[in-house]
Amino acid sequence: MEILVGLVGGTSSTILFMVFENISSFRIVLYGLISFTGILVGLEIPLLMRILKDRFEFKELVSKIFTFDYIGALIASLVFPLLLIPYLGLIKTAYLFGMLNVLVALVACIMFKDEVKGVKYLKSAAIITLLGLLAGFIYSERITSLSESLTYSDPIIFSESTPYQRIIITKKGRDLRLFLNGNLQFSSVDEYRYHEALIHPVLQALPNAKHILVMGGGDGLAVREILKYPQIETVTLVDLDKEMTRLFRSNDMLVRLNKRSLLSPKVTVINADAFSWARAQQRTFDAIIIDFPDPSNYSVGKLYTNTFYGVVKHLLSPDGIMVVQSTSPFVAPKSYWTVDRTLQSVGFHTVPYHDYVPSFGEWGYIMAMRQSVYHVPDHYVAGLKFMSKPCLEQMLFFPKDMARIPAQVNRLDNQILVKYFEDEWSTVQ
Amino acid sequence: MSGQPFNKENIGRRSFLLRAGLVTAGIFFSGCLRRIGGRKSEYEHIQGNLRGPNAKAGHMLRDKMPLPLSSRQENVKTLIIGGGISGLSAARWLKKNGETDFKLIELEDHTGGNAYFGSNAVSKYPLGAHYITLINNEDQQLIDFLHETQVITHFDEQGLPFYNEYYLVFDPEERLLINGHWQSGVVPDFGVPDTERKQIERFFKLVTQYQNTKGSDGKYAFNIPIDESSADEQYRQLDNLSFTKFLHNHGFDSSYLLWYLDYCCKDDYGRHAKDVSAWAGMHYFCSRRGKAVNAEPNSAITWPEGNGWLMKQLRSTVSDHILTSHMACDIRLQSDGVEVKVYDHSTNNTYTCKAEQVILASPQFVNQKILNGIDRLGVDYSKMNYSPWLIANITVNNLPTSEKGMVLCWDNVAYGQPSVGYVNANQQDIKLIEEKKVITYYLPLCDKEPRLSRLAAYTRTYDQWLDIVIPEMEQMHPGITPHIDHIDLWLWGHGMIGPATGYVWGETRKQAKQPVGDRLYFAHTDLSGISLFEEAFHQGINAAQHIIDKKHAS
Repeated sequence: MEILVGLVGGTSSTILFMVFENISSFRIVLYGLISFTGILVGLEIPLLMRILKDRFEFKELVSKIFTFDYIGALIASLVFPLLLIPYLGLIKTAYLFGMLNVLVALVACIMFKDEVKGVKYLKSAAIITLLGLLAGFIYSERITSLSESLTYSDPIIFSESTPYQRIIITKKGRDLRLFLNGNLQFSSVDEYRYHEALIHPVLQALPNAKHILVMGGGDGLAVREILKYPQIETVTLVDLDKEMTRLFRSNDMLVRLNKRSLLSPKVTVINADAFSWARAQQRTFDAIIIDFPDPSNYSVGKLYTNTFYGVVKHLLSPDGIMVVQSTSPFVAPKSYWTVDRTLQSVGFHTVPYHDYVPSFGEWGYIMAMRQSVYHVPDHYVAGLKFMSKPCLEQMLFFPKDMARIPAQVNRLDNQILVKYFEDEWSTVQ
Repeated sequence: MSGQPFNKENIGRRSFLLRAGLVTAGIFFSGCLRRIGGRKSEYEHIQGNLRGPNAKAGHMLRDKMPLPLSSRQENVKTLIIGGGISGLSAARWLKKNGETDFKLIELEDHTGGNAYFGSNAVSKYPLGAHYITLINNEDQQLIDFLHETQVITHFDEQGLPFYNEYYLVFDPEERLLINGHWQSGVVPDFGVPDTERKQIERFFKLVTQYQNTKGSDGKYAFNIPIDESSADEQYRQLDNLSFTKFLHNHGFDSSYLLWYLDYCCKDDYGRHAKDVSAWAGMHYFCSRRGKAVNAEPNSAITWPEGNGWLMKQLRSTVSDHILTSHMACDIRLQSDGVEVKVYDHSTNNTYTCKAEQVILASPQFVNQKILNGIDRLGVDYSKMNYSPWLIANITVNNLPTSEKGMVLCWDNVAYGQPSVGYVNANQQDIKLIEEKKVITYYLPLCDKEPRLSRLAAYTRTYDQWLDIVIPEMEQMHPGITPHIDHIDLWLWGHGMIGPATGYVWGETRKQAKQPVGDRLYFAHTDLSGISLFEEAFHQGINAAQHIIDKKHAS
């Protein structure tokens, strides 16, 4: 029985780690394991009483057993938070205690070999369990990474931690997916919907645009769309992460996806912090594409403030158009309209629009410009799979469930957007 | 089980308690042993040193060390002694009003006073005062200065200022580690019982009430600068009462509230609530009414180097008039002016400076030593107490992020700790991710009377300070020690004046502000009783204005 307690207890946290992704069954497994451990431990007390009944008087027996039970509980409650969890971590601690239980069984087998039947069988069972738990203890690090791989539903073909983020690429059939810090950036199946919507409403309206700035978007997919316009002379891509742009210039599969866009002689890649870089610039661009990660923390949140938009406005030529990817107006309407309000607060006229990207859901963009009129372009470059005039007309319409709501300006000293974004997305997940 | 008294069980329980106690003690002591045994190796990788204001020069004054004989005489119309904010502000004001014949001498090899700052490869960082709050809108002189320096960029039609977005403290602003959780904001909230919350609310109601109250003279009950406050007895008498007594009289006994108010007194005055007057205690909360178009009330304004940034702006207007490493050691009044003996400790020379008038922008504990045969009637120097502080600038290559609750803020405080927490010196950095950070930890040394705390502080070594600083950082961020690259310590023996009971509206401060014989003028925050940038700024202007007025009169 002690062996069983060891086995169940020892492997419990690993099992729980593994099944955590599968939310519906997680609780069943959790309560199941707790009940099973509880039953086993509960059985031990009457069993112990029966074993020891010949040695002590009943009252004394009860008091002794409970004394030791409570001392054990006290020690455990002190040792767990102070020593074990901080130094060993949850998984290793569980294995350690599992091993202790089995050791007790083993010692009991040896000490009371005359009173127990089938000593040999029990001993070998204990030793095997012990070795199993020891292996778990030693390999617990690998178990952690194994359980990480289970959080991605498709096979991981690439993973790397850069100073800025953890890049993971998964592939299943023809579906290639990029995750940054666990957040989906694109799925190769439908990314054209996102990137065509991000680029063509702007560039199709600027037939004379020659110099384009892209901030974020180190995957080169937005640049791929930009390069469809032959009149464009330069594309400047500013992305923080060197590893990211290196990857999308060198990996065969990814280069095929972005059509070698980052290798084009028209493209200059600058690995720099967007805010600092923008502040130091003097030149202007005919179009600016802002494709940053969502404002999920206070660092990225700075790139969605009035101060940042004020800086970027200086980089936009008088007739230029800027576009900002602005999270989902369906899931996070408050966040979306906060971006819109913030852009307006620095003197931009805005044109909000949205489309449906199956892997993302309903997604939002906002065009910002100095002039107050935007004409929906009549014609589109060849080779598009999604964008067209009727399509854009539809994208400009906001149904009631995504309609404009009053919003405040997101500033460096209030960062309200980060709070809205967290609130709104946490209610769906 | 039988329900009868049972001796054996009692013994069992006693032995149980004994054993349980031994186990607990064992864990505790093994923890301690690990600490003592492992201390060296745990801290070994941490570099840095312990510095502070030039104690050698200071002690030359205190111990009246013989100086080289005076080699020459120099003449100047106005001599300013002290290059802190008060002195620099006085110099700026003279210059602004067309005066050119003045010199400012500073004992240290740099200006700044307690707005001084440091820097390393990672960042600039404060060594003392590190922020101001929105300025009261009627304080025209300071508003003008902030506009000149583009801290205020422009005004709306109503004349309400826009503050520079890069200087308004970036969000997230404050967090408090309380009941095992980092909550947002420093006023205790997480795990605070409702009855205590109500008391906290009641306290802030009292604050709002006082904040907007004006006395019979039309002046606010509490104002900045302090001398613009109402003279009504009903407010000023609060100065004769300790803050703790005042809170007790108002029925405030919530331990969370009292902790918070004590923290505020430590933060602003370097003293416990029991050691400052009720007037000063309430002034902290009730004197700030600044409004801006683009910031919330009470917003802080800060820079990586703290108020060192403001100091540099003041200095830049008068830099050709400044002599550093110059110490005034002896001041005598003469019929035609003031004779000041100046020691230049960079060249080990002494000379005599003859001035028409002198602005002493130096603290009174220094003036007491250098004013030779000059009596300041009614000034009791023993009533002026200066709080010692330790500032630790900690360079970390990673702050553990696994904590519960709010992420890293500008101001990070732990409930019930001796320090007042730390600020992130890189908060105003627009960069997304810094590989390293400098955090500035502030420890007021206020558990004993200032003189004793100062003596004890001077005897501590760098390693002994680490034993105070690091455990507290570990308490806030378990596992941080290996991530600390560098700790630079700065010890202020006389960090700031403490507004003890009876000081702000007492006789000593009133008399110490008085010029002596139209020749000596005084400007220092110890003449305000509270150490704020705003006070120093006005102290300097007021002293300089006396000189300008005198000139116009003659």
